[in-house]
Amino acid sequence: MTPTVLVIGELHDGRLAGVTAEAIGVARSLPGASLVGFVAGTGAKAAANEFGKYGVARAYALDDPRFDSAPLAARVPALKKVVDRESPAVVVVGGTTNGRELLARLASAANLAVATGVTEVTPVAGGLRIRRPVFGGRATETRQLTGARVGVATRPHAFPPAPETPGHCAVESPPNAEVPAAFLGAQRVTLSAAPSTGGPSLSDATIVVSGGRGVRSPENFHLIEELAASLGAAVGASRAVTDAGWRPTSFQVGQTGRAVSPQLYIAVGISGAIQHIVGMISSRVIVAINSDASAPIFRVADYGVVGDLFQIVPALTAEIRKVRGL
Amino acid sequence: MEIVVCIKPVPDAETRLRASADGTTLDPESVKFVVAGYDESAVEQALLLKESVPGSKVHVISYGPAPGTEEVLRQAIALGCDQASWIEAPSESISDPAATTRALAAAIGPIPHDLVLCGKQAGDDESGLVGGGLAELLGLPDFGCVVDLRWEAGTSRFRFQRATEAGQETWEAPTPLLVGLQQAWNDPRTAKLPAILRSRKATITKIAPPAPPVDAPKNLAERFELPAPRTGAKMIDYKTPEEAAQKLVKILREEAKVFP
Repeated sequence: MTPTVLVIGELHDGRLAGVTAEAIGVARSLPGASLVGFVAGTGAKAAANEFGKYGVARAYALDDPRFDSAPLAARVPALKKVVDRESPAVVVVGGTTNGRELLARLASAANLAVATGVTEVTPVAGGLRIRRPVFGGRATETRQLTGARVGVATRPHAFPPAPETPGHCAVESPPNAEVPAAFLGAQRVTLSAAPSTGGPSLSDATIVVSGGRGVRSPENFHLIEELAASLGAAVGASRAVTDAGWRPTSFQVGQTGRAVSPQLYIAVGISGAIQHIVGMISSRVIVAINSDASAPIFRVADYGVVGDLFQIVPALTAEIRKVRGL
Repeated sequence: MEIVVCIKPVPDAETRLRASADGTTLDPESVKFVVAGYDESAVEQALLLKESVPGSKVHVISYGPAPGTEEVLRQAIALGCDQASWIEAPSESISDPAATTRALAAAIGPIPHDLVLCGKQAGDDESGLVGGGLAELLGLPDFGCVVDLRWEAGTSRFRFQRATEAGQETWEAPTPLLVGLQQAWNDPRTAKLPAILRSRKATITKIAPPAPPVDAPKNLAERFELPAPRTGAKMIDYKTPEEAAQKLVKILREEAKVFP
């Protein structure tokens, strides 16, 4: 019997989110897996068709606008029915804030052994072996999840998206499930998209350029933004910058802000307080530009430039624009 | 309002981590335990609500082993929580989020709870699984990554902000509900000495954890690894800013291969 793997999708602007393609990639890497998708919200039916191009031949779409502004809890009864019907051996979800919260509820509802923030997945008898960073990337743990059903939330960007293949997805509605009234009493009343940096969002970006106290004033922050624009990168900031009000708190990378794990992280004028380090330490390559050669950031960086950022950063922006033909 | 706040003892962020002798987990003897940062925000939130909604009570509860758990519960009492319960955890199950979730649900289910608060995740394992899992078992809606939780007496609803990858959300929700808080947005208070001294004599109710169900899937720690110490950055030698930029871009393209 081939094991069924359920991929819980997430909608982003009416399409399957990038993290969902990554989750499908993980699901496809499991030997002999038969894949089935799930997605909820307005436009879920259309978005579910996209599962096809990633090699998922069947999907359930809970296409109902109620689920856009209702708590995540409201979609769990339908998801539970899908799990009961399909009996997946493994459930995979892209580990965004919402993906993790949904998996947490499903773990209790459907008796799953689960792990979040997962960066490696290996099949073992009766389940999965997973690895995940803990303690803000200061350590890594390996766990074994075994039982009738197990689940993982992937760490965003830790896995490549599933390669696209020509394929069709048969989309159906999930079995009818009653939503407890208690779950529909709460309402999302406003949603404001994260302030645009003109580039990708912090958590989606494969390159992040962050500025710190060394930038000296909000008027100088355009240096960071121009470097980011030359790389198609997202803009981040240290806590010193957001506390001073130079940039909104949504820009903050660190323990009290957002944790990011891009392919390349460039820290400009950031000394490297532990609270910042834990938010970016799991980036693949770290570059630090700072005038102080003894700044702690150079101990965690892969490459360092000691110098005046007001000279180095414009030169770097110009060089990148040159090699990229911009 | 009956407020229950769940806290977890975690190693102090400044602690030097060490793996246990068998290499499967963190060596608990090597660390000093403190309230998880996100849970600290939850305690502060509970106390702010207690001050603003007359007749409120705050019950703090923790599932954890000795050492560490009793100490963090006494810290919460010193800060102003009214009542504390300790579910004594067998040390082999503390890293299984399902065990924590079941134990908290068994303890909270029978007691009054208009609002259950916790951190959005713990500062050690960063799983973020207990809030949602607990809410599911208690039949409550849950909201993680929340800041600025306020009670609106006029409408008898909570109003709060929630930050996700998609943006900033504003929610309104009636009780009962579970809220997982973002860290340190509310500048948690510190305890005063007389309160710390009184908290040492406070009664902590001990609760036995429920037995795991026979069909419980297994979530076992196999290895706990510390990375090889970073050797420090490879520093770029240069005479002009232009030379620094050229060398760095060349390395990023050819050695680190982070862009074409």
